[in-house]
Amino acid sequence: MKVVIRTDKLSKYYGKGGEIKAVDELDLEVYEGETFGLLGPNGAGKTTTVRLLNCIIKPTSGTATVNSYDILKEETEVKRVTGLLAESPGLYEKLSAYEFLEFMGALYDVPNDVLSGRIDNLLKLFGLHDRRDYLLEGYSRGMKQKILIASALIHDPPILFFDEPTSMLDPRAALMVKDLIKQLADTAGKTIFICSHILPIVEELCDRIGIIKQGRLIALGAVNEIIAQTKTKTLEEAFIAITGGVEEKELLAWREQKGASS
Amino acid sequence: MPVRKWLVVAKNEYRLHTSSIRRIRPYFLYMVIVLLAVYVAFIAPAVVSPFIDDFLAFIITQAAVPMVQIILFMLFFYLIVFPISETLREVQTGQLEIFLAAPIKPSDVLLGEFLGVMPFYAIAITVITGSFTALLTPLGLDMVQIATIIIIFVITLLSAFWIGIVIAAILRTKLGKTARGKDVGRALAVVIVLPMIAVMYAILGGGLVEALVDPGTSGMVRAIFGVLPSSWGAEVFVSFASNPGNIGAVGFETLTRFGGLIAFFVAVLWLGAKAANRAYSLEPTTFIASRAKPDGVFYKTVRYLGGGRSFGTLLVSVFKDYSRRLENLSWVAYAVGLVAMLGIFFSDPSSGAEDPLVSLSELGIPLLAGFVVGTVSRGKTSFFMYMKSPSGVGKFVKARLFQGWLVTVPIAAVLVAVSTILVPQITLTSLVIFTIWGSLRTMAAVAFLLGLALVIPVFSEESRERTLGIVINLMIAVFATIGLDVGFSRLGLSFESILPNLDPLTGLLSDHLLQTAIFSFVGIVLLYLGKRKLSRIE
Repeated sequence: MKVVIRTDKLSKYYGKGGEIKAVDELDLEVYEGETFGLLGPNGAGKTTTVRLLNCIIKPTSGTATVNSYDILKEETEVKRVTGLLAESPGLYEKLSAYEFLEFMGALYDVPNDVLSGRIDNLLKLFGLHDRRDYLLEGYSRGMKQKILIASALIHDPPILFFDEPTSMLDPRAALMVKDLIKQLADTAGKTIFICSHILPIVEELCDRIGIIKQGRLIALGAVNEIIAQTKTKTLEEAFIAITGGVEEKELLAWREQKGASS
Repeated sequence: MPVRKWLVVAKNEYRLHTSSIRRIRPYFLYMVIVLLAVYVAFIAPAVVSPFIDDFLAFIITQAAVPMVQIILFMLFFYLIVFPISETLREVQTGQLEIFLAAPIKPSDVLLGEFLGVMPFYAIAITVITGSFTALLTPLGLDMVQIATIIIIFVITLLSAFWIGIVIAAILRTKLGKTARGKDVGRALAVVIVLPMIAVMYAILGGGLVEALVDPGTSGMVRAIFGVLPSSWGAEVFVSFASNPGNIGAVGFETLTRFGGLIAFFVAVLWLGAKAANRAYSLEPTTFIASRAKPDGVFYKTVRYLGGGRSFGTLLVSVFKDYSRRLENLSWVAYAVGLVAMLGIFFSDPSSGAEDPLVSLSELGIPLLAGFVVGTVSRGKTSFFMYMKSPSGVGKFVKARLFQGWLVTVPIAAVLVAVSTILVPQITLTSLVIFTIWGSLRTMAAVAFLLGLALVIPVFSEESRERTLGIVINLMIAVFATIGLDVGFSRLGLSFESILPNLDPLTGLLSDHLLQTAIFSFVGIVLLYLGKRKLSRIE
């Protein structure tokens, strides 16, 4: 199988003397056509990893290749072959959905004769075609998320990064996005890299997952392999076993203080 | 061939700025061009014609060169500050990720952002240049001279605008990544205009023009401003005005100044493009999160003043939320700066205590109160906490009133005391009485403006809308004060006219105390209405 994303001791440190290790010597391989999930607690380094792989920020040390392009030397090529749905991206609220997608398409050099039809098709797919000329400031959070997903697809890249793709969506829209990701992987042959906290989605969509904590990759494999390794029954239990959690008896400790209930 | 990326960004920027006029967008540029042509050809000459004689007399004086230098510097400074202030008001870096993930060079983004808003700045540049050209036309300048002056204005103002855009982009990326940085940005956006206001006040009321007629002062100002690129055009401007139709007489001077300006423009363009990489980055600037210190003497005193107990705690919380936002503190600094400048440039303490007193009561104190309590309705969601808790809205209004008094009264007392000390032969008793009066007046103004801000709430988190809300409330307060003053004097309702034996200053003070009582009453009514309104928001 062809490796399309390969990281080699990829690291990103912050602060004086690099005491904050956002990503620490990450070694990872993602194969062509695979849907890969990166899991981890808040602040584990998932978004930093995605930003590094999309050449948004530069690594402190190590490197990576995306579709055989070096993230340090071939930034423009890397950007052309990837689509990114960022965790908290900014939208141009004063543009209409059509104008925003037109802008994004132009940024990625989508030819004009293709762009118009593609925008229409994407808007139809997300059920927003009849609102194409409304300004984005009037869209709900879910609708904005759909537009952002559409913008990540606008140049039809072979590799897609989705950072929390369903976090703001209602169950129906989330299901649609889930199905879309499945089809992008199964039918269109895209390589998909997902970061998410929603474990059932990761469990259902991802061929393999990686669990990251404090910047270090601490588990890697298929979902059932990770469950088996941790001798647990579900991915949730496996995730807690690997990353740690609050013990049940500690949960109501705050009430034990005198007068706390008054 | 793919479209040039800077053009894509420019088109997007233009669309964003014309979003509110989308229906007329296709004709907008043509309409603007026609209107500007009408302005330059007809309106500007008509507007400047009444001043032509004064201008012709002025242009041959000592003051001409430094005055044009100052005007050009102000325009230059304004065009630098405006994009910075606009950016800092709402520092947003969300869109940065879009650009950084796309195959586009930072310099293309910068150029695109510059060109996208260029049409709007071009309007300002054309109006300014058109007005100055209209002033010079009656002198009989030849076409080369007029064209040179137009180019000088355009290059000077474009350079300033480019510098402003570059600085704004760098500040946005530096400040936009942390909540503290955004707060610093909003605070800077408020106070950054103060130097310009100072120069404006100095020209209007500070006798700057008269001072520049003096050769010594004029020479000094000329030398200081002469080193700034904004001034290089001023000498050319005045030398053309002194030698109309005879460019040869000032050929060398024109060439050096004009050439210098062109070189400066090219240099700032090049440096800006080089700085673009710094302007677009998502690398965190700091990982140091702001930490709250344990309450010191100040907050312990505030808690005590709030009666201790739960209201004291609430008052301290409201006070902390207010004072930890640098934007709020910069509004206070802005108000104090304005009041100080009004005092320096427009007030004359030697004419007695009346002048500073009236100026403070009609403008200074409402300004201070308005800027401190004007943003009370900011962020609708936080009100629901108060609505949910027992008697929460009442507690909130009371806490904000106390907090407003705690911030404004000491500042107003100092301002009144300083203004009074400057009055010749003022007695200590008068000083104390005036200071107490100032404090009472401030308390009334805070109640009035807080009530007004609750009755006409601006829930928006957008700085521009909040500022507009503050300005509207301030206008109401200022006009109400002036109206009350004028109304009293028209109706002969002054203590001095009722009690003829009363000395004028005591009379004036008594009038002001009566007005303060009326304002307090209206303020209480507004606070009640505001509280009712706040309890019913959905």
